[in-house]
Amino acid sequence: MVLYGPVWSDWVRYDVRDKLRKWREDKVRNSTETAELGEYLLANYRRKLGDEVWPLFEQVSIASLDCGKLSLARLCIHAVREQFPQSSRSKRLHGMLEEAEGDFESAKETYEEILKGDPANGLVMKRLVAIHKGKNDIPSAIKELNKYIASFMSDSEAWMELAELYIQEQDYSKAAFCFEELILYNPHHHLYHQRYAEILYTQGGIDNLEIARKYFAQAVKLNSNNIRALYGMLLCAYHIASSSKSTAKKKTENTKYASWAKVQLDYKYKQSEPKDEEVLGEMFDRLAITSGN
Amino acid sequence: MAELLLDTNIRFWVVLPIVFITFFVGIIRHYVSLLLSSQKKVDLQKVSDGQVLMRSKLLRENGKYLPKRSFQMRKHYFNDEETGFFKTQNREPAMQNPMADPSMLTEMMKGNLTNILPMIVIGGWINWTFSGFVITKVPFPLTLRFKPMLQRGVELASLDASWVSSASWYFLNVFGLRSVYSLILGENNAADQTRLMQQQMAQPMAMAPDPAKAFKAEWETLEIVDHKWMLANVEDELIGNTPYPSDVYVKNKYQ
Repeated sequence: MVLYGPVWSDWVRYDVRDKLRKWREDKVRNSTETAELGEYLLANYRRKLGDEVWPLFEQVSIASLDCGKLSLARLCIHAVREQFPQSSRSKRLHGMLEEAEGDFESAKETYEEILKGDPANGLVMKRLVAIHKGKNDIPSAIKELNKYIASFMSDSEAWMELAELYIQEQDYSKAAFCFEELILYNPHHHLYHQRYAEILYTQGGIDNLEIARKYFAQAVKLNSNNIRALYGMLLCAYHIASSSKSTAKKKTENTKYASWAKVQLDYKYKQSEPKDEEVLGEMFDRLAITSGN
Repeated sequence: MAELLLDTNIRFWVVLPIVFITFFVGIIRHYVSLLLSSQKKVDLQKVSDGQVLMRSKLLRENGKYLPKRSFQMRKHYFNDEETGFFKTQNREPAMQNPMADPSMLTEMMKGNLTNILPMIVIGGWINWTFSGFVITKVPFPLTLRFKPMLQRGVELASLDASWVSSASWYFLNVFGLRSVYSLILGENNAADQTRLMQQQMAQPMAMAPDPAKAFKAEWETLEIVDHKWMLANVEDELIGNTPYPSDVYVKNKYQ
């Protein structure tokens, strides 16, 4: 109770409110903490928050859906819907609640209703994809996501999601296509190069291995601490060198690359975990890689 | 250079009131336009077109990081003579004529109503109320051509053009208080008239032929792009002649 001025509980309230506000602006998604703090704030200080209570409701409802606290989510979303019955934003939250409860059919209806009124609402289209994912129906999720991407081609998150779905379906050529798009949007991000190379490596075939080796090398060039890319380069080079179809020139080149990668890995492991050296040595022996040839 | 001594009452009863009037009218205009503003309907086609253009631009710029085949595949998708995206998508030129398009017409009318009309009305009222005397002197010399413009109501042939009347002080305020509005109302406020005027001038260029012409321009720029694969010699670059100082451990140069 506030008597003569700010009391300890007030400071706590301001602290909590500011923290949640910062998370909202930075789009941080600490769901468990957000749900707990938000519940505390909304239960005790609802009136004192004023107009800020509505974005807070939205934030807390999404966080509680993430944690599975359906009762809290229902409370928040109900309050928002009462205040803003016509808003597509509140309808979307209602659809998310229906999804969380497992009622995919009515969620789908809700979303399609929103899309009828506002056909360019990208968030709702993505929720439709999420419905299919929730039902574990990956092919329809892929179809829906393709429809979304046909309209919103520059959404790199969507391409990333599509790549993951294709990998789940083991459709590696299409997943490689998606990763190429991601490389186009962020050409200096070493992880995209590395994952693209991994997909090519998984597909197999000498040509793919050569391209994969190059992309692993690019990943190492962009970030020399990328151990996975070093391993990738090592394995690609080794496989090309030991394949029967490569020319002598290719063999020498690739053994050179492989031993370089091995030297790098040795050095990196020496730097961090000296006792793992033996294990590493054994592994390399088993792969029969020697330095210099 | 005649030095006039102005009545100090002018300072209190003319200069400051005009500042306050301009300021408050601006704030009122901002809130009125907020009330009158209608929800802008986002056209899916327009959004999608913008994104396509962005993707094509990125292909042009970063295509050299992709393998040759992938780049060719995408270029073919966009530029091919029969099936390419930029060739087959015909967009209707959007309505340029504001008289023919009802929604744009109301939008323009609302814009005019909330901005130009009050300015004219209040400018005229100030001119009528505070007429017959000069308010202040601008700190830089002006030519005689400015006299009829800036010295309404004061018909003195020998008076310096630097002495201005109330109407010009009003217009000075309108433009000058822009930064004060952005301080108080935040960016993008509706009281900012100069931005609106710039928009009105820029609009005829930015709108209608946008899809068709933009596609054609993008087609041309994509057509001339050549693919030079950045990754062709990346391993040699990595191994041979680029010793990163602290990270890469190069034992000795490979013979």
